[in-house]
Amino acid sequence: MEHEATASQLQAMLEARGVSRRSFMKMCGAVAMAAGLSELAAPRVAQALEESVIGATEGNLYPVIWIEGASCTGCTEAFAQIDEPDPASVVLEMISLNYSETLSAAAGHSMEEAKTQTIEAGNYLLVYEGAVLEGWNGQALRVADKPGTEHLIEAAEKANAVIALGSCAVNGGWMGAHPNSAGAVGVQMYLEKCGIDTPVINVPGCPANPEWLVALIVDVVLMKLSPADIPLTRENKPELIFGQTIHDNCQRRGHFENGEFVYQFGSEEEKKGYCLYPLGCRGPQTYANCGIVRYNHRRSWCVESGAPCIGCCEAAPMDPGHNWVEVNTPFYKRHRDLRIGDWMIQPGTIALTITGVLAAALVVHGFGMKAAGRAPKGAEFEKIRKWDAKHPQNSIGQYDQEVWDEVNDTKKGGQA
Amino acid sequence: MTRSVIDPITRIEGHLRVEMEVENGAVTDAWVSGGCFRGMELVVEDRTPEDAAQIVQRICGVCPVSHAHASAIAGEKAYGITIPNNARILRNLVEGAQFLHSHILWFYNLCALDYVNPLNALDADVADAYDLAQAAGTSMNSDLNALKERLSTFAANKQLSIFSGNWFDADGGEAYKLPPELDLICTAHYLEALTMQSKASEIAGLIGGKMPHIMTSTVGGTMFVPTEEKLDDLKALVDEVYNWVEATMIPDTLALAGYYQDAFNWGGGCGRYIAWGVFEDPSFDMTKRYLPAGVLDENLNLSEVEESKITEYVGHSWYKGSETYTSPYFTTEPEFTEYDVNDRYSWVKAPAYDGKPMEAGSFARLLVAYKRGVPFVVEQIDNVLETLGAPGQFGILQSTLGRTAARQIETLYIAGLMKEWVNELIESVKSGDSEYYRKPENITGAGTGFWEAPRGALYHSESVKDGKIEGYQIIIPSTWNLAPHAEDGSYGPLEQALIGVPVADVEKPINALRTVHSFDPCTACAVHVTEPATGKHFETVTNPWGVK
Repeated sequence: MEHEATASQLQAMLEARGVSRRSFMKMCGAVAMAAGLSELAAPRVAQALEESVIGATEGNLYPVIWIEGASCTGCTEAFAQIDEPDPASVVLEMISLNYSETLSAAAGHSMEEAKTQTIEAGNYLLVYEGAVLEGWNGQALRVADKPGTEHLIEAAEKANAVIALGSCAVNGGWMGAHPNSAGAVGVQMYLEKCGIDTPVINVPGCPANPEWLVALIVDVVLMKLSPADIPLTRENKPELIFGQTIHDNCQRRGHFENGEFVYQFGSEEEKKGYCLYPLGCRGPQTYANCGIVRYNHRRSWCVESGAPCIGCCEAAPMDPGHNWVEVNTPFYKRHRDLRIGDWMIQPGTIALTITGVLAAALVVHGFGMKAAGRAPKGAEFEKIRKWDAKHPQNSIGQYDQEVWDEVNDTKKGGQA
Repeated sequence: MTRSVIDPITRIEGHLRVEMEVENGAVTDAWVSGGCFRGMELVVEDRTPEDAAQIVQRICGVCPVSHAHASAIAGEKAYGITIPNNARILRNLVEGAQFLHSHILWFYNLCALDYVNPLNALDADVADAYDLAQAAGTSMNSDLNALKERLSTFAANKQLSIFSGNWFDADGGEAYKLPPELDLICTAHYLEALTMQSKASEIAGLIGGKMPHIMTSTVGGTMFVPTEEKLDDLKALVDEVYNWVEATMIPDTLALAGYYQDAFNWGGGCGRYIAWGVFEDPSFDMTKRYLPAGVLDENLNLSEVEESKITEYVGHSWYKGSETYTSPYFTTEPEFTEYDVNDRYSWVKAPAYDGKPMEAGSFARLLVAYKRGVPFVVEQIDNVLETLGAPGQFGILQSTLGRTAARQIETLYIAGLMKEWVNELIESVKSGDSEYYRKPENITGAGTGFWEAPRGALYHSESVKDGKIEGYQIIIPSTWNLAPHAEDGSYGPLEQALIGVPVADVEKPINALRTVHSFDPCTACAVHVTEPATGKHFETVTNPWGVK
């Protein structure tokens, strides 16, 4: 490495130009001058630090261990994006995050020691991000010289509860997709297999929306709820978050009801914010409240940005094969079942664009709207639903004759 | 001779182990091991290139946008299409937002804790700290009194949270060299940086729907169509991030550098660099990107990128065989044996260019940009070298501290470009250009996306038949940097950089940790590929309609 400057070379270069160490530091923002060089070598470790105990059994903060399994760190990253409370407030004033591979100041054995002490002291939450890898007896994931699975077992056994954060932790996520070469499974399934009965709360999503995690932390830390008291679905997902579909709360829902759709990315229809269903949107069958909570300081979310939902919250905890990638690809083409309220339609064909499947759904939906007395003539801002206009023979809408006349005039005009 | 091991390496993405031989207070031998295998390439096979651009983002939650774009470019090359101008600008913006997010987070929230001790700030004199901030020319928007109070309350509770097990007392208490006032300023900026990196992500979220894992960049262009209301939000956010970066990052770097200049003396690495280039200009020419493509040899001579010179060797990694494969589309089969530094010791393979290990990353990009005469980069690097009293002497920068400082220069460059791109987009929308996406007509072919993640040169290659992927290959920046020993016995770039690093305390080898962090490693990225050659048949888990 001859190109690398050695200490003496650098010193020599500086001195040759009349630059002393002191004046170099002065150039470096004049900081050294203001601070005083005498400060330099004195070791200063705050007294409070020396008195601190990692595995403290007392204190105002709820101890948390955050283990990254086979993860992309996306869920930790997402956590770093929250505001109100911001991540610093969470880790300084709500929880004592004693182990986080991404945020901890410690490294190596000191890091593992912090985890061991926390486990010994007990009364902590475990957040587990990423898939559990069973491949090569767990050696597909190696941390601190042992398989990742051992770390999970150790930390889960004594935890008050495990939050399986993100679709990978819930059931292996994309790693569970064909051919699942690393042997990915979810936390709940793995712990059940090992006979560990610590309650698991499943929070899917890719990444899991950080607001969901913080909501759970608030439940436990501020509301003093026992993790067992948080209402869950039968897949152990928090009911308030995963009890309704994306479609139920979608900001483009009105256009779905009007039959106004986007058929190509980046088109005029997209500019108008029409419904993305024909482009494969999985909103109708995906359970999550993304459209309400939104992402990145509530700035936007998938559908608002023009992207169909790809169903990243789809995750059956006990079945790695039923993961969001396997179930939902091809994302922009295939339609599975379409659920609207209690109605469910299973398409008999792959719908590349809007087809009879959707038409049938709209008919069903039209009944609902009529029954509710909401749309005898379509929504106020349109004279007639587009589908009805195109299919006068099958229309179930009730329109005045003048509306039909106008439709016919337009058609003629269009042909001429 | 003593062994010193850091496992896990923290404040990085993924699972990484570093093992070192220490003799007479310095590292004499080193082995870098990536700890996790996930198998991405197999998952995208038999799916569409559009799906791949979504799925491959899940390689890394820190740089998903780069994976989306490299994959989309590979798909576009395979289909023989180019993207509309509006899509080009929007991709630059969302990519740039991710770079800003990643660099800010890396410097302040991951790397800085190797240099800054927030608990030492408890001893700071607040009035002096304000004077110091002014002298250093860095921004000061925080209430330092309130911050000190906050830290005191935290410390009085005696639970350490993210400071549990810290190394602040390493090297007999001499590893952390900042005066308490500078620790206080840097802690204030640690907290401000948390906000700023999330503002940068907000830009990515605005265009991409959410971040991490954006939704809108796809093969053929973008799904995002900006409305006036989105455009003014975009402009305001970009300006806010630029103003903070401009007023804060470089002054802070220089202030820290003053106390740690010994770190200019080690951590050099292999001294050869690759950059595939990032941020497309209207020509779509790799050598004319805002950060251009190029390869630099030992003497920093520039040559053009040739795909056929890229190889990967698996003889020290947990894969069957000891072959060297040439890109693209080779097949390897994972097989864990045991951790043995004399044989196989990593899930990371050893890539080479022209038979040699290469360093990738921000520093590599800047050197290539310098050689290509990118004006902002030339000016900044010349200024730094001038300040160091060593004009033209790149050698000083080839070090742990040099590599650490380079990233802030790049951050400022990209923050400035973001402002230009917002204006470019506004002008384009004003001119009536409303094209954002082009649908491919031909859906068979093969193509490679050469691109850059914040951590360095990123390569996605795919062959597609009738819209379905037949072969997919990814070579990721950290695979270059974290490579184990190569076929000819030469060490990987990080391994080379570690050799010679001073270690006073084998239990807490802080300078080794600083050197590892200077590469901004991303281990989850680094391990990925495999193609079992077993002929094993896998049952599909859903029926053709996907309904179980």
